[in-house]
Amino acid sequence: MIDKKDTQFLRRALFLGIIQIGLVIILLGRMYYLQIFEGSYYRLLAEGNRIATRPLVPLRGQIYDRNKIPLAQNETSFRAILLTDKKDEVEETLNTLSDLISLPREEKEETIRMARKKKGLDSLIIKDNLTWEEVSAIELHASELPGVSIEVGSRRKYPLKLEGAHLLGYVSSPSEKEQEEDPMLTISGLKVGKGGVEKFYDRQLRGIPGHSAFEVNATRKIVRELHQTPSVPGEDIHLTIDARLQDYAQDVLSNYESASAVVIDIQTGGILALVSVPAFDPNLFPQGISHKDWGQLRDNPYVPMTNKAISGLYPPGSTIKLLVALAALQSGVINEDTPVHCPGYMYIGNHKFHCYRKEGHGTVNVSRAISESCDVFFYEVAKKVGIETLSKVFTDFGIGLGGLEGFPHLKKGLVPTKTWKKEKKKTNWTVSDTILTSIGQGYMLATPLELAVATARLVAGGKRLLPRLEGQESSSFPGMGYNEAYLKLITEAMDETVNKPTGTAFRNRIQVAGKEMGGKTGTSQVRRISMQEREAGLTKTFHLPWKYREHGLFVGFAPVHAPRYVIAVVVEHAGGPALAIQAARDILLQAQLLEKDAAS
Amino acid sequence: MTMDFLFSHLQKVSRLNWGIFFILLLVAAVGWGLLISAAGGDFHHWAFKQVVRFIVGITIMFFLALIDLRWWLHFSYVFYGIALFLLGGVEFLGFIGKGGQRWIDLYIIQLQPSELMKIALVMALARYFHSQSSPIPFYKLLFPLFLIIAPVLLVLRQPDLGTAMILMMGGGSLFFLAGVSLWYFGAALLVGGACSPILWNFLHDYQKKRILTFFDPTQDLLKTGYHITQSKIALGSGGFWGKGYMQGTQAYLNFLPEKQTDFIFTLLCEEWGFVGGFFLLSLYVLLIVMGFRITLTTQNDFGRFVAAGMTMTFFLYAFINVAMVMGLVPVVGVPLPLVSYGGTAMLTILMGFGFLLSVGLHRNIKIPQLSIGVF
Repeated sequence: MIDKKDTQFLRRALFLGIIQIGLVIILLGRMYYLQIFEGSYYRLLAEGNRIATRPLVPLRGQIYDRNKIPLAQNETSFRAILLTDKKDEVEETLNTLSDLISLPREEKEETIRMARKKKGLDSLIIKDNLTWEEVSAIELHASELPGVSIEVGSRRKYPLKLEGAHLLGYVSSPSEKEQEEDPMLTISGLKVGKGGVEKFYDRQLRGIPGHSAFEVNATRKIVRELHQTPSVPGEDIHLTIDARLQDYAQDVLSNYESASAVVIDIQTGGILALVSVPAFDPNLFPQGISHKDWGQLRDNPYVPMTNKAISGLYPPGSTIKLLVALAALQSGVINEDTPVHCPGYMYIGNHKFHCYRKEGHGTVNVSRAISESCDVFFYEVAKKVGIETLSKVFTDFGIGLGGLEGFPHLKKGLVPTKTWKKEKKKTNWTVSDTILTSIGQGYMLATPLELAVATARLVAGGKRLLPRLEGQESSSFPGMGYNEAYLKLITEAMDETVNKPTGTAFRNRIQVAGKEMGGKTGTSQVRRISMQEREAGLTKTFHLPWKYREHGLFVGFAPVHAPRYVIAVVVEHAGGPALAIQAARDILLQAQLLEKDAAS
Repeated sequence: MTMDFLFSHLQKVSRLNWGIFFILLLVAAVGWGLLISAAGGDFHHWAFKQVVRFIVGITIMFFLALIDLRWWLHFSYVFYGIALFLLGGVEFLGFIGKGGQRWIDLYIIQLQPSELMKIALVMALARYFHSQSSPIPFYKLLFPLFLIIAPVLLVLRQPDLGTAMILMMGGGSLFFLAGVSLWYFGAALLVGGACSPILWNFLHDYQKKRILTFFDPTQDLLKTGYHITQSKIALGSGGFWGKGYMQGTQAYLNFLPEKQTDFIFTLLCEEWGFVGGFFLLSLYVLLIVMGFRITLTTQNDFGRFVAAGMTMTFFLYAFINVAMVMGLVPVVGVPLPLVSYGGTAMLTILMGFGFLLSVGLHRNIKIPQLSIGVF
């Protein structure tokens, strides 16, 4: 009995022992699998658990004017950031936070959206530009806000305000499309240039982001920083702009509903001022513009968001006559004395083209035709020169080329040709088209910047001057093969336009000795004056509704005997060139006064 | 007389299985080292208390080991009765903590009657089967079945799945060793399988969740699955050599839950790697082998049942805990023997080894089957 019981016990005990050995082998196998077979996978997970990285947003480069006056700066700001990988807790945390600080619903939703998009542990900006009250409220309630912390950052500040708006543009969070194109832009808090210089020089200004890796514990509190790759600040940009002149020009133009101006220094090609009115405050954008402000900007009939100096397209009007005259002289169609009789109109077939002076100019040569703006002279001349030669000269002088390649929202004017018309309008070029082109009407379009460049090239002796926004050194530009005598003749005619009592701009000349300006006026029709209106005695458009009035244009330079500053001004729907001339006069004078200041 | 008494006891001490003591000390020392690491290098935070507990426990162990086995035979039902009474007592006296009423506060030490019961059950069953001759008729199995089922129901009420598992498997293995027909085990498995849907309804929500999470830990990463996922990350990231002592990032940064108690094996594996885990498991296997040697060399039935039961219980502790942290079984709350921070588990296990050593000392004595049936 006992023996049998003993053997059974032994057998069964052995059986249990074998099972235990089997189980221990399973444990060892599992341990081997987890630690050695899948060890590197779990090590990766452990690292992910432990290490959180935070991008370090680089300090954006500053923008200065030619005299090192800051145009765009960085200002210290405080922002609330969220560090979490628990996406479902984000909303709750934000709700708690919105009891403490004002947190608009759209911003909250944006943060939640961003949080969902990011993988793993990453930091997000909840709100930028916190006030002191908000900072202390968050610090006080830190325990109820897991993952929320305060970070010191910087925000963009534009000391010039309205004066710099169009020129400088502004910075803002990158759009989703921009982020897709450049993954670097997904860094929370990084701003990119939108429009203007901020966008034009965005690559230089942006800098290179760094990152900081730190160890976090299970409750997402930072234990210590592990390593840091510092960010590289963006480069500073030194513009050719003179902030004081920019400021002044903005003031001058602010008297009008809608206007723009460009001032170029012909010694360097540097743009001294680039102004468009009305403007907006670029300081509204870096912190996120409110819907109300945006609505106001968007719905304003004078399109404050558009930089008209580079993207406003206008028929150049009589300002183009300078180039028509040059084309005629250069091609030998006329010389300086060739007379043309102006009875106040001209017939082409049975269509009657009017001169701007109804009673006619009598017999005029090229100088008088320019200074007194005789249309008939140019009709006659253009007919002989032909559109092909005209368009070549226009293009040589930069019309239709834009001027600042790559500048945001830059538009290019239009120089019509026979092939262009055939392609676009499906009809043949006619003499009437040439005649309209010769007085800057018809199909022709130019931006104020192009007009300024064309004028600068004329005044600079037919050199291929290139406008620029950066750099101070004077440049020697290559010539374009135009006879200097003809150029001189034209600039003298511009002198007479302003400083001779018969000139079209005489009343608004600069009356400071040695600082006089030269120039050419222009009026560009927005709509044709109908036959009935003309018979009713209406040849001017002052009393038409604003949007049908003619644009007033003026291109000019100063000082008249040693040209340095070139200007182009367009006052929209001014009904005539007077306002543009007055603005140009004030700005050119100011440019010379500022130069004297700088010298002394 | 007194000289004789002293002499016989000194002789007993010299015959004690000092190998077991040495390995127990080694395992406990591993635990102290881990507790220091878990506290971020602070010896006093956890390790100090654990050293004191070990000293108290080992003293009790030696005390129990020296007492004559026959005395334990007579005392075993009383021991079981006390344990069952205390276990019932936690229903009324216990306080809520850690999601279960598992503790009785004795002011000096917090006592877990469920831990005591693991030993008491082995003693009671050993005594019962000591008195039976093989083959045992079915009606004679009803009483030992009751001995198992009564505490199992009580610990399930608490609820403590881990203890219930140890009680059932430990008790079951004694049934098996006692020569209970294999058909009964088959029948029990069938009945258990059939009843499991009903039993499922008796489980607490969190227990159901743990079991469901066991099958798919990724489903609920942040709540129930968090423990096991983080545990696997910690363990797996240890690799072959480990991250080095006190270098375990998972534990140090609090990703590891309960790193000083149930999940301490993970800490070992994170810091000491496969090598460390293998070392500790080897120590456990050595203890089990020594327990087996005592079981197989003991001449009396009571002794070998006690030895086998204690060894099995110890094995179950270690296996369930390690399998649990590696995601092989659901998280049921079983500490790693002698290593996890905590008093009663340490006390229970050292008491168990006390009885085992006592069996070892008295392996050659003959104990007659008790003529009185049950009591």
